[in-house]
Amino acid sequence: MSAMLLNKEKWPDFIGKLTGKKIWAPSGDGEELRFAPVAEGETPQLAFNNTRVPPKNILFPQTETMYRFQLGDLEMEIPQLDKETIILGLRPCDARAISIVEKLFRWDVDDPYYLKRRELVTLVGLACNEPGLNCFCTSVGGGPASTEGLDLLMVDLGDKYLLETITPKGDALVDTVKELLEEADEASQKLKEAAVNEAGEKISRTVDTENVAQGLPELWEDPLWQKVSASCLGCGTCTYLCPTCHCFDIQDETEAFEARRCRMWDSCMFEEYTLHTSGHNPRPTRRERTRNRINHKYSYYVDKFDVIACVGCGRCINLCPVNIDIVEILRQVKEAL
Amino acid sequence: MDLEQLRKTAAEVVTREDVKYLVGWKKGSYGYRVAPVFVEDAAGAAELLFSPLCTANLATYLTLVEKKPLPRGQEEDKRKVALFVKGCDSRAVTQLIVEHGIRRDQVVIIGCPCPGVIDTAKLAEKFPETEAPAEVQWDGENFILLNNGEAVKLPREEVIAEKCRFCRYPNPVISDILLGDKVEVREPEEDSGVEEIENKSIEERWDYWENHFSHCVRCYSCRNVCPLCYCQDCILDRLNPTWVNRAVNFSENTAFNLARAFHLAGRCIECGECERVCPANIPLGKLNRKMAREVRDKYGFEPGVDPEAEPFQASFKPDDPDDFIL
Repeated sequence: MSAMLLNKEKWPDFIGKLTGKKIWAPSGDGEELRFAPVAEGETPQLAFNNTRVPPKNILFPQTETMYRFQLGDLEMEIPQLDKETIILGLRPCDARAISIVEKLFRWDVDDPYYLKRRELVTLVGLACNEPGLNCFCTSVGGGPASTEGLDLLMVDLGDKYLLETITPKGDALVDTVKELLEEADEASQKLKEAAVNEAGEKISRTVDTENVAQGLPELWEDPLWQKVSASCLGCGTCTYLCPTCHCFDIQDETEAFEARRCRMWDSCMFEEYTLHTSGHNPRPTRRERTRNRINHKYSYYVDKFDVIACVGCGRCINLCPVNIDIVEILRQVKEAL
Repeated sequence: MDLEQLRKTAAEVVTREDVKYLVGWKKGSYGYRVAPVFVEDAAGAAELLFSPLCTANLATYLTLVEKKPLPRGQEEDKRKVALFVKGCDSRAVTQLIVEHGIRRDQVVIIGCPCPGVIDTAKLAEKFPETEAPAEVQWDGENFILLNNGEAVKLPREEVIAEKCRFCRYPNPVISDILLGDKVEVREPEEDSGVEEIENKSIEERWDYWENHFSHCVRCYSCRNVCPLCYCQDCILDRLNPTWVNRAVNFSENTAFNLARAFHLAGRCIECGECERVCPANIPLGKLNRKMAREVRDKYGFEPGVDPEAEPFQASFKPDDPDDFIL
């Protein structure tokens, strides 16, 4: 682990040095920022709060072709993943989400698609100086400069970035750009500490998770689920924009002369979710589906992997069309316990 | 809007024997949010409100109800549902009646004349949201933001929701109870959004929509929030045959978005909810208002204004103009 400084003026040179790898970074010309592949000669900008759509789809594409074959030729073609990738400027919450979701993809079977992408990616995080209104990462085990899941953490110190390497992958990346960097001095470490503390203090929303994982199953039939889900529209916004939601469905799709087996995101808020062939659905209404969303994140995942599957990024709160607020739901859960 | 009167009326309605529950708006959990709320008793009516932040079209909840199979011997509660409507929302209710999506005698409509609602994203750009829910009131045509006891005037032009610029029905077209006085109907502005698209060449239009539809995440919030997208058996959910693949890519996303636009032609009442809720910021309002304009210009038909009207897509007139058919 090392700490280096990069003058912001050298940022375009920094990007220029990372050749031969596919770089994903926030981009969007005068439009909303999204993680997108950086075109040659383009310099991604890092002045942003967080993207509305998380960078989840880079490692876990919304539609992933597992294999395909052509009409008349039963030879299966399995897409080969071999391109080294860098995700640049992802927020610590989104990086934590990757390390949380990874536990699932390493569980009973090693998922070759996810884990291959994970192996090939270097995660370069950007600490938060200005957390959003609905951020609550500090309540669920994260923080504005959390390094979990990251290979390299960047901290904005005004005219410079402080670069802290976390893993050998991070060291290797720093190595390729080392002539642009200088050793970090003690003053910059102090600046970092101050910035991180200040950011932490700005996070005002909190969730009390004590006993929630154990308590949630006891609230199975509690009237609170009806109350908090009454206005739910049953859309997939909260789950599709959640960096940790990882449910998927497998479909066979055909197109003229090609057939594909695809894995695609699924959402527990949809009517189709867990619908049995018989027509029976164990989660027949939005009440059960909302209950599942909260239980999965705050209870089942904790039981299985010992970590809450929510990183407190606040996206589901920001973007819910009808103001269903997970912080508020958890407050009611605590109250009912 | 006199909130005392609104809450009193709501309490009276919700305690009526023939009313099951009432759908209204209440203060949200933070910032400029207002949340839809289901009220079942007089006490619940105390938290209801109507303000320029009440963008949500509650007519959606008339058809969004999920019915579980009833236990043996138990009968379905067939009492009426009461709901608050703005001008645009009332058109959705009217259109639902036209299409037999609901029956007129199943609803109690409480009309709220609406001088226009706020685009909360625009407001948040000027005055960032705070954790404490903010209060916004009408001041004639303009708005007042009450922030920590301080009143800030917000000129209409700066924060008004786009759909309200083109609104021709600020007063409910149908209601059982009308709260307050009707508002003056303003001359609607030219729809600059639709014109922007119409002024593009075919190639430019394609690029424009390709850019937007490529970003669609298929969360279906536009479909689910839409009061007139209420098919029990939506073509998007069909697996056999699969009309629209589950794969998320430009081609399938376009199939989805265009199918929705066509199914809404002559039915969309321009409440703008689809565009408001889209997490990918797709300008769906422009698409649907364009379709509405086509139907208006070509057939002189306006959905959701007359509960006795024949549904546009089910009507045929021998003298329909056919000059656009090749």
